Amino acid sequence: MRRDGKMTFLDRFRAMRETQFGAFVPVLLALGAIWGYFGLALPAYDVLTGEAESFRAIFLSPRNIYNLFMQSAVIATLAVGITIVLLLGEIDLSGAATAGVCAALLGVLVLVGVPGWAACIIVMGVGILMGAFQGLLVAYVGIPSFVVTLAGLLGYQGLMQKILPTGNLNVGDPFVRGIARVLIPDMWGLVLAGVVVVLFALASLRKQAQRRMKGLELDSPLVLWGQVAAFGVIVVAVVLTLNAYRSLPLLLVLLIAITALLGWVVTSTPYGRSLFAVGGNPESARRVGMKTQRIRVSGFAIVGLMAAIGGIFGASRFGSVSYTAFAGGSLLLEAIGAAVIGGTSLFGGRGSVWNAILGALVIGSLGNGLDLTGASAADKLMVSGAILLLAVAIDALSRTNTGGR
Amino acid sequence: MASKTKLEGQNTAPPAHLAVRGIHKRFGGVHALRDVDFEVARGEVMALVGDNGAGKSTLMKVLAGAYGADEGAFFMDDKPVTLSSPNDASGLGIQIVYQDLALCENLDVAANLSLGDEPVKAGWRFLPRLLRPLDALEMEVKAREAIDKLQVRTLQSVRAKVEGLSGGQRQAIAIARAVGTESTVVMLDEPTAALGVAQTRQVLEVVKRLRETNHAVVYISHNMRDIFEVADRITVLRHGGNVATYTTADTTPDAIVVAMTRGLDDEGAGNAA
Ligand SMILES: Nc1ncnc2c1ncn2[C@@H]1O[C@H](COP(=O)(O)OP(=O)(O)O)[C@@H](O)[C@H]1O
Ligand SMILES: [Mg+2]
Repeated sequence: MRRDGKMTFLDRFRAMRETQFGAFVPVLLALGAIWGYFGLALPAYDVLTGEAESFRAIFLSPRNIYNLFMQSAVIATLAVGITIVLLLGEIDLSGAATAGVCAALLGVLVLVGVPGWAACIIVMGVGILMGAFQGLLVAYVGIPSFVVTLAGLLGYQGLMQKILPTGNLNVGDPFVRGIARVLIPDMWGLVLAGVVVVLFALASLRKQAQRRMKGLELDSPLVLWGQVAAFGVIVVAVVLTLNAYRSLPLLLVLLIAITALLGWVVTSTPYGRSLFAVGGNPESARRVGMKTQRIRVSGFAIVGLMAAIGGIFGASRFGSVSYTAFAGGSLLLEAIGAAVIGGTSLFGGRGSVWNAILGALVIGSLGNGLDLTGASAADKLMVSGAILLLAVAIDALSRTNTGGR
Repeated sequence: MASKTKLEGQNTAPPAHLAVRGIHKRFGGVHALRDVDFEVARGEVMALVGDNGAGKSTLMKVLAGAYGADEGAFFMDDKPVTLSSPNDASGLGIQIVYQDLALCENLDVAANLSLGDEPVKAGWRFLPRLLRPLDALEMEVKAREAIDKLQVRTLQSVRAKVEGLSGGQRQAIAIARAVGTESTVVMLDEPTAALGVAQTRQVLEVVKRLRETNHAVVYISHNMRDIFEVADRITVLRHGGNVATYTTADTTPDAIVVAMTRGLDDEGAGNAA
């Protein structure tokens, strides 16, 4: 560490990532780069080389953005859950398989006549149990989470095949399908966005006023209003774009609401604090009397819950449950990759659920963009791998006290 | 047992706040503490010295309730007390700053100072305490107070992450955390061992502040200069037993070193209290 006033580029980078919104910068840059490349650079190149007569921004068209968000939603749901165990310094490889089991169970339940809403609740309970079971093995038996959840991945994949011997099941239940199909009317979508932005602004101002009253350090007005403005622009732009194609889908509203709730728990409650404490220094957490084992179990239970919700979202969007869409496919690595690309540290104690959403968009955009350009599955795998590696490298470099440096 | 201390015989000693008598502690075959007496008064810095393996850390952990003693009696202000768990100790106002500070580097100073006992906003009674909203501002106010009380001047912001702080600042924060709770006894295990000159200064200043605020301070160190700067009395341990307790003003570093390494069996211990 350097305390002589001189800052290397790396020091500045670390300092930036430590600020509340600075942690979003790398992933936003990545997203901007990918969108710029697929949305602007490639079409422009095509026009220049005469391959296309006119500039066609297919990637950035409202229709594609809409699909992109929907494609990324399941990844994002799982990534938000996985973020919680990453904060604890653990890993969960079984998220996608848990989602698969829950989706398959959901399909079977509605098939035998259980009402859609009841099936969803049952499946979420099952997800929590599946996660908590692994958490118990990690916290109380002391098996590394990598091993427990690797076993979970295999076991739950098998379980999914047992539930769905044919490997495929259509889900026609109107409640389940409704989650992805129901659209918020254009007008209401904008009203909702407006309300959210105003609430965000009011909360920021109130906090600043309270800080002033208590004589605490103040955030600079530039930062304060910058945050409000950036937040407002993003929210309104997203809703307008979605409205331009169809409308704001209920599924996205649910995803954002769940993430907001979880994000609030993580940053603003004693429980959330204990997640960071256990991930940052378990010994310290233990000495101040935190129940570290229970906290670990609860973290895995949350992954289970989010995986179940991801399963429900997936079943709703596809209208079917298939082995390859969940347990057997690329969802597992995409979800972990999304959390890490978002900027949540694999070393524990650093990260946020919002970053997971952005990370999922990065992964989703890559897949979507490469699909549009007709890239092969092999290309997609290699590019995704490179991006993941880059994200983990940034993570490693921005840890201030890595012994290896 | 020949060198058993005569704590009672001192007329200069202030009244003990925390005192232990006849402490024994065995780890399997290792007899780490043999019939140890120890005491510390309020508004006093009591240094605890001895060679490596003399039993200093073990004694401190017994006093903090982290280890149960096999035998021995505990007194707070002359009243017998039981002390067998860390909870007992913190209930009695005894706090320990471990050699490894156990701070969460990924959290800021304010969060570290209230770790495990975070203030929550009033109301929200329908939620379990763990899920009530944190009162982040109250947390900062408290942290500011704790830091100001110890006069850690170099610390700019209580919103700074601990990982960006110097060793001395971290030590000060660990001490502030111990003091922040309603503590009357603060024990520091080699707080300056890993620090440079300037950082050591800072920690010694904090230790002096603790004395001014009428805490009973137990200070383990190897560094004679530091000890003679801050300590009022010095207890010397050797091979898990008492050698003697000295009043700093009446002794010399050489005498202490001799007592640490050879005990009292020769001329080196001339002015034991
Ligand atoms: N947890 C333990 N288990 C077994 N032996 C221990 C343990 N802690 C300390 N000891 C032994 O007790 C003796 C005193 O150790 P310690 O109190 O750490 O000495 P000091 O802090 O004075 O250097 C040493 O011989 C050490 O090996
Ligand atoms: Mg020691």
